[in-house]
Amino acid sequence: MKTSKWLIAFLALVMVLAACGGDTGSTDTTAGATDTTSAPDTPDTTDAPDTTEPAPSGDCDGEQVLLRTFTGAVGQELEMAQNQADRYMAENPCITIESIATPDFVEDRLGTYLQLFEAQSPEGDIYQIDVIWPGDLAEHFVDLNEYGAADVTGDHFPAIIENNTVDGKLIGIPWFTDAGLLYYRTDLLEKYNLEPPTTWDELEASAQTIQDGERADGNQDFWGYVWQGNAYEGLTCDALEWIASAGGGSIIEPDGTITINNQNAIDIVDQAAGWVGTISPPGVTAYGEEDARGVWQAGNAAFMRNWPYAYSLGNSDDSAVKGLFDVSPLPGKTAGQSAATLGGWQLAVSKYSEHPEEAAAYALFLASEPEQKYRAVTGSLNPTIMSLYEDADVLEAAPFFGSLLDVFTAAVARPSTITSPKYSDTSALFFNAVHSVLTGDADAEDAFLELELDYTDSFPDFTVGTP
Amino acid sequence: MAVRTVGPKKRAIKWNRVGFWLLIVLIAIFLLFPFYWAINSSFKTEAQLRMTPGTFIPRDPDTGTISLTMQNYSAVFANSVFLGTLRNSVVLATAVTTLALTIGSFAGFALGKLRFKGKTPSLYLILSMTMFPQVAVLTGLYAVIQNLGISARPSMILSYLLFTLPFTVWVLTSFFKALPDDLIQSAQVDGATPFQAFRLVLLPLTAPALVTTGLLAFIAAFNEYLFALTFTTIEPNARTVPVGIALFTGQVARQEPFGEIMAAAVLVTVPLIVLVLIFQRRIIGGLTAGAVKG
Amino acid sequence: MTAATEAKPQKLSKAGSLLDNEQRLAYWLLAPTFVILFAVAFYPLGSVFYSSFTNDTFASAVQTDFVGLENYSNLLSVTLKELPPEIDEATGQQVIDADTGEPEFVSSIQVLPRDPRRYREVGTFGFFGKQYVFGATDADFIESIYDTTRFSAVTLFFETLLGLGIAIALNTAFPGRGLMRAAMLVPWAILTAVSSRIWEWMFIDTRAGFFNIIFQKLGFTDGQTPFLADSATQLPAAIIIDVWKTTPFMALLLLAGLAIIPSELYEAAEVDGANKWKQFTAVTLPLLKPTLAVALVFRTLDALRVFDLFQIVFAQKKYSMASFAYYQLIDSQALGYSSAASVIIFFIITAFAILYIRFLGVTSD
Repeated sequence: MKTSKWLIAFLALVMVLAACGGDTGSTDTTAGATDTTSAPDTPDTTDAPDTTEPAPSGDCDGEQVLLRTFTGAVGQELEMAQNQADRYMAENPCITIESIATPDFVEDRLGTYLQLFEAQSPEGDIYQIDVIWPGDLAEHFVDLNEYGAADVTGDHFPAIIENNTVDGKLIGIPWFTDAGLLYYRTDLLEKYNLEPPTTWDELEASAQTIQDGERADGNQDFWGYVWQGNAYEGLTCDALEWIASAGGGSIIEPDGTITINNQNAIDIVDQAAGWVGTISPPGVTAYGEEDARGVWQAGNAAFMRNWPYAYSLGNSDDSAVKGLFDVSPLPGKTAGQSAATLGGWQLAVSKYSEHPEEAAAYALFLASEPEQKYRAVTGSLNPTIMSLYEDADVLEAAPFFGSLLDVFTAAVARPSTITSPKYSDTSALFFNAVHSVLTGDADAEDAFLELELDYTDSFPDFTVGTP
Repeated sequence: MAVRTVGPKKRAIKWNRVGFWLLIVLIAIFLLFPFYWAINSSFKTEAQLRMTPGTFIPRDPDTGTISLTMQNYSAVFANSVFLGTLRNSVVLATAVTTLALTIGSFAGFALGKLRFKGKTPSLYLILSMTMFPQVAVLTGLYAVIQNLGISARPSMILSYLLFTLPFTVWVLTSFFKALPDDLIQSAQVDGATPFQAFRLVLLPLTAPALVTTGLLAFIAAFNEYLFALTFTTIEPNARTVPVGIALFTGQVARQEPFGEIMAAAVLVTVPLIVLVLIFQRRIIGGLTAGAVKG
Repeated sequence: MTAATEAKPQKLSKAGSLLDNEQRLAYWLLAPTFVILFAVAFYPLGSVFYSSFTNDTFASAVQTDFVGLENYSNLLSVTLKELPPEIDEATGQQVIDADTGEPEFVSSIQVLPRDPRRYREVGTFGFFGKQYVFGATDADFIESIYDTTRFSAVTLFFETLLGLGIAIALNTAFPGRGLMRAAMLVPWAILTAVSSRIWEWMFIDTRAGFFNIIFQKLGFTDGQTPFLADSATQLPAAIIIDVWKTTPFMALLLLAGLAIIPSELYEAAEVDGANKWKQFTAVTLPLLKPTLAVALVFRTLDALRVFDLFQIVFAQKKYSMASFAYYQLIDSQALGYSSAASVIIFFIITAFAILYIRFLGVTSD
């Protein structure tokens, strides 16, 4: 019949059209890719304030090289990045640097990167990567040791360099670092005649005392201790600190031993579960960094576990705790057993970049001592170069850095390199297990036994052992 | 303003009226209160946001007097990227809506009023295109766009049609179907082709449906985040409002500028509502036109 | 347009060729929709189906193998086991919990199979004195299916009810109707990412949040209720957020549906002595049914695919089906596995869509 012929012809046409779309794609990758770089769709009239202006390229006698760097979008950091790029371009007239802001929300940033890697896109040259990513993303980055990083790695914290080294290759050059700290209210410790706690038991007792006292004094919203208990990477950090500081190992050791199922780890996590609803709000199992800081900065908590960023914010003008707090290393099971989880960001150079040489040079420039010092003095970002913690200018700008050197030197890395490329899974299993203990859905004994089974499934080569 | 009432007029007892107004007020509170809370938050500093107990009007944490801060709004206005994203979003959503309505009304007319084979399978096929989670198609879509070398703006328009077009087609189909068949027949007796009947007689009658569908599609396109984030990665100039807001950050990493996000949300929503308010007359105009002819 | 001019000279004499013309016109009118949808979706959708049968890793050069239905069986395998009572070795009797007085059972992990695939606990329940455990190879996904369908069913119920109520109320004439219609759109117009944040803030567990302020003022609580952390209030909170956000969608569509109901029908019904309720059931509902069906189909589609809300409010505490697929793709880079989850979502949505369409008869002529 006529009609069915029409239908068939039409459907065939549609199929052909659709197939064409798909086919041209797979055969002509490079042409398509270069097209997008060289031919932006429309002449754009808007100014682009989050991209750096190309420097005057008057005295460049060679070919212009465009370097795209993916960095954080944070106001002050972005300004500093711009300043650094301008200075670099002034000295290297053949280089144009474009800084592209990426969202602060981790999954968004990672997702953006992954799409570019999946397409093996040459559009990105330098990527700002989290301390837990070098292992999982190693295959997309060049070995910076081949581009001269080997000369400077000795200046950085060894734990970070080790974390960034995958199969002997330096995946990222450390840029700035982070570690968990204990924030405490100096005024309240004084009021109740207490010392900053060095063990978890002391913390528990002091938190209870202050909480009871403050509530009796009329602040019904007051809590002893706030931290990060939501089911996310932040809980991995907090729980790793508890476990490592109780002699419970670091989940999976760098030599590939699965150690999570041990009594020390079980005890400390059970102890932490006891905090929920007593010295910590029942809602702490939904807290991220900002939630904890919110309670803290409103003056409603005696202690807080957080990253160094909360220090300058806590001392800002509209903070209720301005000048009333200090930081110290986190407590341990016994005094001095403190552990802080290592955080921070690295710079890595894409393997798909067309100018790895220039990109690596710029990454190393950003991570160099003078530039890290500039960022430490201007923006209180924690350097990864050890000597800067004794630098007079740095200490003048950020006095609390002095007490951080020990914390950073002893910081515990998450098992992201040994478990790569499965760190995200490893961590998700871990924080979900801990979260279920915190919410009372499971007890630590079962949760960690299950976790051990999970890990032996995921990593058949690893052995089970004690820390 | 010509309005139509449903049911008996002037017979309403007073208590009915009271109940009705009570209902209206309750609905209004339910719909508007969270937005009020956003406005309230947008005038608060971080300390005011976090203070306990929180206040229904921004108040000073120490003295308790009313104190509104404009710092969030000035931060949003100082952020020149934000205004650019606003323009991008408006242009993008307008383009998507226009395309979806034009193409969708063709298809809706065919599916709702014409007799042909394969009608039901067509409807199902169109719907099935939009039944995957966005994140599932994102990677494939990105590969297609990369390989074809389409830049961010057209690729967003194309990919947004993936969720707006099936919607407009389905809604318009049901509205075309509801129109009486004799409208086309009488038009054809007057010598019009089916297409002319569609364009000159039926299309004006579906105006309320077109405006409604267009509004819903416009907002859906305006709000889309995941595609926009991915496609504009290397074209920051094409970024849309949701992406722009995701890039709002505090002074230091990890700090979430909640007040500023609320201020931006208020600044984006208010013009949209004013627009709807202006369109009101048209919607009502369309409604009465439909009612009279039907 | 060309089709229209071609079709023009036909007269009514030959009904058959008129039908042919109508058919041809219909295909031409549908062509743009199909061309665009196929061009955009053909490759992405095809690759989702294809990769769901592989162990493809996202953004990696690791070799991809065809694994058949393994992803699906990992996602969907479930088991039910009886939990034996916990026996005290000394007495030979079942252990009784000292605090609750309840008899104790062996923990699920001892009972669930480990070989060849490990099953995890989804939940336990008692039945006639015996205790059972429900296990799944991917407990998270099974839970996400359960949570998402519950979430969808309840939100749809309330949205329809409220949407219908609002639409009918706004279809009557009263001063300020225009304003109300604009107000009605506010929740839908606020960016999803932002509206979830607003509600998150209102639900916050301190007295900085609206609900804790109110509940404490009214004396119900101490103002420290963790709405979003407590598993008893998590889903209800999500449902409230979604009902608020999407009721306008429903109401607006239904309002447009009400508007094309000819007013003569009501007048006729009134002449027949039908009261308001009778008018509603005899005139409004039947004529609104097609619009209602379309609105329901699209709301179901969106509810079952809910993503932003769960991602923002619950992170990885509680997954929706789509946020599960998202975390599998981005965090675990398990493209094959994530695709298989998406295909399952696709089939679940298809099942619901067919159900509505059959029940409400959208496609019947």
